[in-house]
Amino acid sequence: MLSLRIAARFLRKSPAQSILIAAGIAVGIGVQVFLGSLITSLQTSLVDQTIGNSPQVIVRAAEEGSPVDYDAGLRQALESQPQITTVVPTRAFSAIFKQGAQSAPLQVIGGQLAQLDTIYDISGRLTAGTARLGAEEVMVGTDFADTYGLKAGDTASFVLPDGEPAELTVSGVFDFGSAAANSATAFVEGALAAGVLGLGADQYTAVDAQVSNVFDSKSVAESLRAQPALSGLKVTEWQAENADLLSALQSQSSSSYMIQFFVLVAVALGIASTLAISAVQKTRQIGILKAMGMKDRQSGRIFLWQALILGVSGAAVGVGAGLALIALFTFLGRDSTSLFPITPQIGFVVISFVVGVLVAVASSLIPSRRTSKLDPIEVIQSG
Amino acid sequence: MAEVLLRAEDLGKTYGTVAKTVALTGVSFDLQGGEFASIIGQSGSGKSTLLNLIGLLDTPTTGRVVLNGHDTAAADRKQRAALRNDFIGFVFQFHYLLPEFSVLENVLMPGRIAGVGDADLRPRAEEVLALLGLEGLEGKGANDLSGGQKQRVAIARALMNRPALVLADEPTGNLDTLNTKAVYKLFRELNRELGTAFMIVTHDRSVAQQTDRILEVQDGILLQDVRNSSLETEPAHSV
Repeated sequence: MLSLRIAARFLRKSPAQSILIAAGIAVGIGVQVFLGSLITSLQTSLVDQTIGNSPQVIVRAAEEGSPVDYDAGLRQALESQPQITTVVPTRAFSAIFKQGAQSAPLQVIGGQLAQLDTIYDISGRLTAGTARLGAEEVMVGTDFADTYGLKAGDTASFVLPDGEPAELTVSGVFDFGSAAANSATAFVEGALAAGVLGLGADQYTAVDAQVSNVFDSKSVAESLRAQPALSGLKVTEWQAENADLLSALQSQSSSSYMIQFFVLVAVALGIASTLAISAVQKTRQIGILKAMGMKDRQSGRIFLWQALILGVSGAAVGVGAGLALIALFTFLGRDSTSLFPITPQIGFVVISFVVGVLVAVASSLIPSRRTSKLDPIEVIQSG
Repeated sequence: MAEVLLRAEDLGKTYGTVAKTVALTGVSFDLQGGEFASIIGQSGSGKSTLLNLIGLLDTPTTGRVVLNGHDTAAADRKQRAALRNDFIGFVFQFHYLLPEFSVLENVLMPGRIAGVGDADLRPRAEEVLALLGLEGLEGKGANDLSGGQKQRVAIARALMNRPALVLADEPTGNLDTLNTKAVYKLFRELNRELGTAFMIVTHDRSVAQQTDRILEVQDGILLQDVRNSSLETEPAHSV
């Protein structure tokens, strides 16, 4: 591997130049790894906060107000979808909270706590009281509890959809991280909701589901709509109902890709120009090597090897720097509630490394071709 | 009688496509193995062009070069490179040592290009370095040597692959008188001891007088090709 040997020697004998090129690659890949992980984690955090703890696919009756019969056919149709991770039948109704002259509307969701937890994680978000939904109990959000001075063990008065009053004991207070959700959502036991709504044992107002990849909700909904077991039912999914959020996420991804693309272009141009200068600087050496019998392809490989060495070392340092930045960001934000955790994806990091190396090698094609075509007589005649 | 090592047949070189400049025309001669010859001529006479053509560094516009039985007329760049590596050693006016490599590595380079491992090359490299009085300098950088030493390393490098022919283009052009004499004395010794053919390009007639055969080029034409000591009286070949 004479070409590799010569390439390594050329790099070693111009340490400042070599370090600068590798540093350029490292900065580019470092930015790529950090920025890519940052945007991905930001999206994950955003998605998690907005739709992570809510149903992403909902099956309701096509006719508003009608119940959904959660029979074996529907259950099987839902469970046959490999992307669906959680299925929770719920009974939801609107109620009015009354406290003296004050009143506030609430969306009350009825179900089994263990099942509700698989989507809403009420128990995991408990801030006061007990995670429990007994026969006459209700769990409310922190903002609602704070507004009306409620705490665990207090009795809350409601007016149910049929106009009947109900007295329920606050068993626990949860925090969903969203003032809107904390102010307007409450949970009760499924049988209580069934009684309020006059539903049978297998009748629900909706069947909520979550999918492994939230962006698969559209295809899952389409697939469900084609199932005979869902005829007469309406399937909705979060993307169709949150177009603005989806657009924001897509814009964020696009801007991230654009930034990463231009960073890589800048890196490529930097490497190409420096290697081109290096190729000119080494013209005499290459020419005399060719006069001694070095073949065109062999001489062309010298700059490919240089680029590969620089690409691998620069990209490796860049990946390390990117991960270090992520660690620093995570460390600085460890006590902050406004910062979100950045989780580097191993696949993305590996792709960034490979892209860095490929960009470096691609950048060497012009100087490599130029070297390959160099005629030794050009060097010897120019003296 | 020694075999023909190199045959130049009707060699010509014209530069340019529109405004044509004829650098060499109709040059023919044979060089036997082990000959010690020189090419003389004024600056711009075409002597370096001739050397570049017979050294397979440049391609002729007309004619052909046959090197050690290989007709190079149809040879591609790869084949010409291989022939250079196998049969020719070059010494130029400028040493062209690779500053990134040590003296030993510079000398090893033609062997490395041929694909031979360093372990096999090293004894030969040490042998030629010793032959040129460069023992002890193996580890030095090429830039750490004097002008004379650099040119001797360049000669050692030219001899590394045991070439049948050494082509030297004004090899002492950058050296002082003392070093110049030493280099030509060395060339003669190497020629006698190793049987290597030498063809030296020079504009200095006194240098040419030290060789056995002189080819004089003028205005791109081989003016005369004579045996030394009888210059212009005993032509080696009719021209």
